[in-house]
Amino acid sequence: MGMSKQPIVVDTSRRTFLNGAAAAAALIVSDGYLAQPAYATMLGTIHTEAAEAAKNLAAGRQVTLKILEPSGSLGNIKPVAERWTAATGINIQYIEVPLGEINQKVMLEAVSKSGAFDIALPASFGLPDQVEAGVLLNLDQYAQKYEPPGFRDDYLYSTGDFYKGSLYGYLTDGDTYSMFYLKDLLSSKDENKRFADKHGYGLKVPDTWEELDAMMAHFHRPEKGMYGGTLFRTQYFIAWEFWSRFHAKGFYPFDGDLNPQINNEAGIKALTELVNASKSQYPGAKTNGLFENFEAYGQGNSFCNIGWGGTQKYLNGPKSKVAGKLAFGNMPGGKVKGTLIRTPYFNWGWEYAVSAQSKEPEIAYLFALFAVSPAMSTIAVRDRDGYFDPFRAAHYKDPEIQLLYSADFLKVHEASMRDSIPDLYLKGQGEYFDELRVNIQAADSGQKSPKQALDDTASAWNRITRRMGKRSQLVQWTFLKSMYPAGIRKSLT
Amino acid sequence: MAKTQNDGLLKAPGPSPLGPGFSLGFALMAPAQLTLLAVVLLPSLMILWLGVTAWQPTAGIPWYKAEFIWFWNFYDLYFDSRFTSAVLRTLLFVAVCVLSELLIALCLAVLFLDEWPWRKLAVSVIILPMMIVPVDAANAFFMLFSARGPINYIIAEVLGREFAYAWLADPQWALLPIMLAEIWQWTPLMFLLMLAGLMNLPENQVRAAVALGASPSRIFVKIMLPLLSPVILIALIIRSIETFKIFDPVYILTRGGPGSATESISMFMYNGAFVFFRIGYIAAAALLVLVLVVSICLPLARVLRR
Amino acid sequence: MPFVQSLVGRKPLARILKRTVVIFAMALSFAPIFWLLSTSFKPYDEWAIYPPVWVSQRPTLQNYRIVFAPDAAKSFAAAQGGSLDYKVAGSAWKAFVDSTIISTAATFFSVVFGTLAAYSMVRFKTGGEHSAFQFLTVRMLPPIAVVVPMVAMFSILNLSDTYVGLVLAYTAFTLPFSVWMVRSFIEDVPQELEGAAMIHGMTQLEAFIKVTLPLIRGGVLATALFVFILNWSEFLFALTLTSGGITTVTVQVAKYVSASSGTLYGVQAAMGTVSTLPVIVFGYLIQRHLVRGLTFGSVKR
Repeated sequence: MGMSKQPIVVDTSRRTFLNGAAAAAALIVSDGYLAQPAYATMLGTIHTEAAEAAKNLAAGRQVTLKILEPSGSLGNIKPVAERWTAATGINIQYIEVPLGEINQKVMLEAVSKSGAFDIALPASFGLPDQVEAGVLLNLDQYAQKYEPPGFRDDYLYSTGDFYKGSLYGYLTDGDTYSMFYLKDLLSSKDENKRFADKHGYGLKVPDTWEELDAMMAHFHRPEKGMYGGTLFRTQYFIAWEFWSRFHAKGFYPFDGDLNPQINNEAGIKALTELVNASKSQYPGAKTNGLFENFEAYGQGNSFCNIGWGGTQKYLNGPKSKVAGKLAFGNMPGGKVKGTLIRTPYFNWGWEYAVSAQSKEPEIAYLFALFAVSPAMSTIAVRDRDGYFDPFRAAHYKDPEIQLLYSADFLKVHEASMRDSIPDLYLKGQGEYFDELRVNIQAADSGQKSPKQALDDTASAWNRITRRMGKRSQLVQWTFLKSMYPAGIRKSLT
Repeated sequence: MAKTQNDGLLKAPGPSPLGPGFSLGFALMAPAQLTLLAVVLLPSLMILWLGVTAWQPTAGIPWYKAEFIWFWNFYDLYFDSRFTSAVLRTLLFVAVCVLSELLIALCLAVLFLDEWPWRKLAVSVIILPMMIVPVDAANAFFMLFSARGPINYIIAEVLGREFAYAWLADPQWALLPIMLAEIWQWTPLMFLLMLAGLMNLPENQVRAAVALGASPSRIFVKIMLPLLSPVILIALIIRSIETFKIFDPVYILTRGGPGSATESISMFMYNGAFVFFRIGYIAAAALLVLVLVVSICLPLARVLRR
Repeated sequence: MPFVQSLVGRKPLARILKRTVVIFAMALSFAPIFWLLSTSFKPYDEWAIYPPVWVSQRPTLQNYRIVFAPDAAKSFAAAQGGSLDYKVAGSAWKAFVDSTIISTAATFFSVVFGTLAAYSMVRFKTGGEHSAFQFLTVRMLPPIAVVVPMVAMFSILNLSDTYVGLVLAYTAFTLPFSVWMVRSFIEDVPQELEGAAMIHGMTQLEAFIKVTLPLIRGGVLATALFVFILNWSEFLFALTLTSGGITTVTVQVAKYVSASSGTLYGVQAAMGTVSTLPVIVFGYLIQRHLVRGLTFGSVKR
């Protein structure tokens, strides 16, 4: 009954694989997401319904759910969990692990099979590995039973919830990248004239990476203590920036046959531009982590920054000198075949997932559903000290959340969430990305030419794909491609 | 020592708690041996199996059904520059840290040969680093070496200009804080050893040399050091064995980064097994490391008993 | 050592120089500890400030509150006008309890097993030279190598993330110290004493328990404290063999991060200070025997 320990095998007889969008449509319809669920209910009261169902399931028994959560997220989970216990009588036990260890601890379950947790909060890019290791429960049947109509309509990004067509988690954190700009600089008539004279167009929130690079270079005046950007040139961040730049040139990282495209001309161009842009960054770009970045940009002497909702929570807060002085923008895109495409990038995101070893899988699922319901998730996102950023349309209308993030930012954030390109949700994600970022950093520090770096990455990726099993990876890659935002899909090759 | 009835006997007389057929000596050793069997021997056997498979948890099959791949893991390891770098880097760690600890300790110990009022206090303070939980010491060093931290502040004051170097983010220099943390923590041990050794030196030879008018440095080098050499040897061997396994400071200070620039062998294996989940591959690495360690350390360890 | 005066210089200048170097060494030894201690009393905005604050002018107990009484910390922060100076967290008491249980149990088993084995090795020469080295090779093995198989084994035996599992691991990896340390203490006791007791009618075992053990009582205690220090400070097994159900003080420190404030240095410093106290206390108690312990009994003072 759903306690599947085997990796999910796609039944190709039932879901004949066609190319492109047809495949996705076939999957979704055949899994009955749009069909009427057995437990028809209104979206607004899904949390009470879920709690009610759980209470009935647990009737007469003392049930405790164990949640494996990363340290620092308790502020988001506790308010929701307390309401759950009040409504259902089911206790929640928190098992906290250090932030950097959460994906590891979930994977460890594959070896230890200890049933140590019922629910876990891995980061979304860890899901493929965890599913393939048999750690996570396939939630399709529960979703069919309990998800109300329209549940995903205001769920702005949920690509990470699925793997090879099945549901494995509920996103609970809106980690899409956004850009921050100093309003004063953008609206300064003087700067506008100087920039327009040189480049032929005026200052504005950049639409493309080329425009952003030009503006960063324009504003980079270190001798005056002014920097073009506080972008990141450290490990994972640099790879994330490349990911967006590459997609903005109009290509998927792999072609339809899982051959890497990362080292094509567009890729080399994207990497070269990234390395060039390094010249316009502040001195701490190569070394600073997330919080140093907040503090640095909060000083107000840098033109632009890149970051998540958490970045804005700081920049809009009492410690930052730029609160109220910022303009926001989606991640820049690119002109592909004449059209402007935007490639906002979603690259972390905590997910509620259910353990395949759980003894109360249905109740655990119901808690996850409860927690990401519009009403409950709004409460979770309100926590100032927590990780969860807005991810449902309902959040953006909440006054407390608006105060926390500022309405202008939320407008941009919401638009980004709707159109975000996903991370590389493949088995072995860590290895793929590790190869990419090592080579990108080598290119950035001048040890390798961009072409060499990307060629090395491509051959490493081929090796990894072979080791992971090309057929299996191709199933997921085809599915993942079909989950890219519809507006971008037609422009990407 | 006069011979007693138990000299040289392998079987002990008297009733054995395990019943007839088991010698008392065997019975007394049993609990310790069983523990080692369970925790060390069995896992080692399992590593022998895992090392010749390519098992990963993401394969979705239990480890005992993993696919047998002969010695391809070892082949890949040989060409894996990350692995070979980790081995060489760890040997570098050992060499630098142990020798530094020895030299500093020796120089310090020489200063403690005479008595003065607050000598005991001085010894107590100097051995304090040894008594700090290594993880907490590493955290302290993390704070100290941050780009806008106390150490950079002091350097800036001395140099008279801005100095905000990010030690822990530099591929070339990140090793320094790690080594300093290790040296800071374990020099006190060497110090105690050297002090004990020096205090226990037979006085006659030194007295004779002094009487003959030899200079202090000559006495030190020609007489004290050779007499001290057994203790020095023991200290070197033991600290080398322990430093080889270095993990705590590496994990806390850099996690092996930036990239893999500060990965020790233990860190490499941790990353390989728990971040990339390449269990079979890392088991093969563990086997190689085991062979390396045993072949170097075992003959050295025999010296310990002399 | 009277002749030392002639070696290291009688002149007052030389003496002052020496003492200065010693003071400098003392300062270096104490500096990181001082930083830890000082940071643990700093308010939030002084943790990573530049220029660094050596001793806070506004010392606070808030970091310790967050470690031991997070709810009190929250109310304290709320009273201060909604500052971010708290973290919604579980208290660290569990970590201390878990560490105590595991360290004590593992120490007990390690010392008991080790003493029995040591006695057997010394008096009966059981296992000859081989078993002695066998214990030593355990210390040579990087623990990370056995972690994954241990996880697999524990899963089969249902020992994952349990006290038993960690105690087993700790016992095994400290056995070399127990065995070799107690062995060196036993070797100090001449065999004739037991022989004399046995002539008076005791069995070998009785002689050991009633004659030898009391004589080496101090040494065994020192061994126990030494092993306890090792167990308490252990990090790798605590990190990898648990999945959050059990936490030791060494792993707990890594949990002090928050989304809005990054790494909570002050709280980590507070946690570090408190968790290192037992080690300091025990360490000084057995100061005389540290050398013997850390050299597996080869060097005695």
